[in-house]
Amino acid sequence: MVEISLIAIALLVVMLSFGVPLPFCFGGALMFMTLVGGATMKGTMLWGFSQLSNPVLLCIPLFVFAGAIMSESGIAQSLLNFVNIFVGRIRGGLGIVASLSCAIIGAISGSGLTGVAATGPLLIPEMAAKGYPRGYATALVANSSILGLLIPPSVTMIVYGWVTDTSILACFLATVGPGLLIMLLFAIVNLVMCRNFPLVLDEPKPIAETLRFAGSSTLIALPALVMPIIILGGIYGGIMTPTEAAAVAVVYAFPVGFLVYKGMTWKKFFKASKDAATAIGAIMVMIVFSLMLSQIFVMEEIPQALVEGIFTITTDKTLLLILVNLLLFFIGMIVNDITSIILTAPLLLPLMQAIGVSPIHFAAIIGVNTAMGGVTPPYASILYLGVRIGEVEFVDVIKPAMTLILFGYVPVVFLTSFWPELALFLPSLLGY
Amino acid sequence: MERQFRYGLTILLSTVALIQFVQVIWRYILQAPLMGLEELLVYPTLWLYLLGSVNASREDTQIKANVLDVFLKTERSRLAVRIVADVMTVIVSGWLTYWAWDYFMYALKIWKESPTLYIPTFYAECSLFVGLFFMTGYGVKHLVANIRRFQLANQKTIKNSLPTVTEGSA
Repeated sequence: MVEISLIAIALLVVMLSFGVPLPFCFGGALMFMTLVGGATMKGTMLWGFSQLSNPVLLCIPLFVFAGAIMSESGIAQSLLNFVNIFVGRIRGGLGIVASLSCAIIGAISGSGLTGVAATGPLLIPEMAAKGYPRGYATALVANSSILGLLIPPSVTMIVYGWVTDTSILACFLATVGPGLLIMLLFAIVNLVMCRNFPLVLDEPKPIAETLRFAGSSTLIALPALVMPIIILGGIYGGIMTPTEAAAVAVVYAFPVGFLVYKGMTWKKFFKASKDAATAIGAIMVMIVFSLMLSQIFVMEEIPQALVEGIFTITTDKTLLLILVNLLLFFIGMIVNDITSIILTAPLLLPLMQAIGVSPIHFAAIIGVNTAMGGVTPPYASILYLGVRIGEVEFVDVIKPAMTLILFGYVPVVFLTSFWPELALFLPSLLGY
Repeated sequence: MERQFRYGLTILLSTVALIQFVQVIWRYILQAPLMGLEELLVYPTLWLYLLGSVNASREDTQIKANVLDVFLKTERSRLAVRIVADVMTVIVSGWLTYWAWDYFMYALKIWKESPTLYIPTFYAECSLFVGLFFMTGYGVKHLVANIRRFQLANQKTIKNSLPTVTEGSA
């Protein structure tokens, strides 16, 4: 049965390479397992579909919806002004503004693409006007937007928590440390790289004017900044479940988008809703078929066989962690973040637990790797979107993007893997 | 269809958010959780997921990896790979629709009702068959469109490779 399962996985990869939609790649592997492996489809279909009505999963569409409303509302400019108060006067400060703003927008929306879409059109031209090479500005915005996957609430962590039966709240917290560290490294890399750019710095303003601007910027940004506080405060304060917090976020985003920032119109609202629902539908149907496949694998004890098979090659924890990181990085290069988690988490978690890596620690490892995959070609959806928004050639972006990956992501991937406290410190504070 | 999907999906998504929000208000502010609201939520939620996915198939925006595209240089070879992918999609989607039909018939026969509100769960369960049926339909549509494009690309290549009168006489 192990051989048949491996062929099913190979078939999945082949279909994926040909560009078959992901739900049907999983469906193809399911078909193979049923027709050749003799797995039963009747019960599996019943079980899989029943999983879709799980209330925990409902927070995904609601967070995506809230993020779509907020990103269309025009909050990006107010957030940029707000962050600019703190670092705007430093040489290279605008680059730090980019990194911080994208992380905050990510915290609001739970998605990397939203960060690029909301901040890219404002930040990239602004950075180019101030002397940053356009390719570099695009690379920085795209890379920083990925932080949205690591700063809670993160859709990828909801999916991970769900498929591995791990506390979603703990998973949210596990990626905060690595996310903040990447943000810090990006700021440092940015400051170093800025030494070579012919930057145009603002003339210093009188203190009174600066204070007035800081006050008004903070006031305008406040409704947007309150949103993550409501979500995270509600969840970690034990007041609401993540799904309920997501619903509150949607209802909160609605008047903020329409009445406070006034960027939202009915036309934009319908388009954002349709786009969000389409994205949600594509994700959910993929999740249900992948779950059905995982269920068949679990019934056939494939993850255990995989662990045993790998242990015959090596039992060295360090080597295994390096191999798993390489595998996750490679998969992240060819599929998107959620697919990567669905594909690997149920299969690799037993192996990780066998070498003493907890599910919460693995959440952070997989989270950082999938985030890095989002900006690593060939499947670098966020980088491609950045290229489109930045109106720049891909060749101009790839070099600075690789520099940021090398000095921002790679060290954090290793630190997250080999220094568990980075991921586990915050969850342990809350008793996980 | 664009309009129907735009409004239909917006209504479903807003309904889901609103029902969940009402539950929060009743549970935490009025301290009186509404019975059956979670049961009610299942119906728009499942239709939202399936119709959202149908729209992704309609717009051809389902999540794909397209790894081979990176290595292919010509439009024709890309279209050939697309056709192979579309054929695989239709076969698998058709097979899944068959099993969804089996589930549809089972749900119809059992006619289960939700525990509190006694709403037949069939109305939510049938969304799987309806959704997959339309996804298969759109899969066939994309396959036909890509075959036509491939034929057109072939004709263009043949046309371009034929010597012109001037080239022939020279």
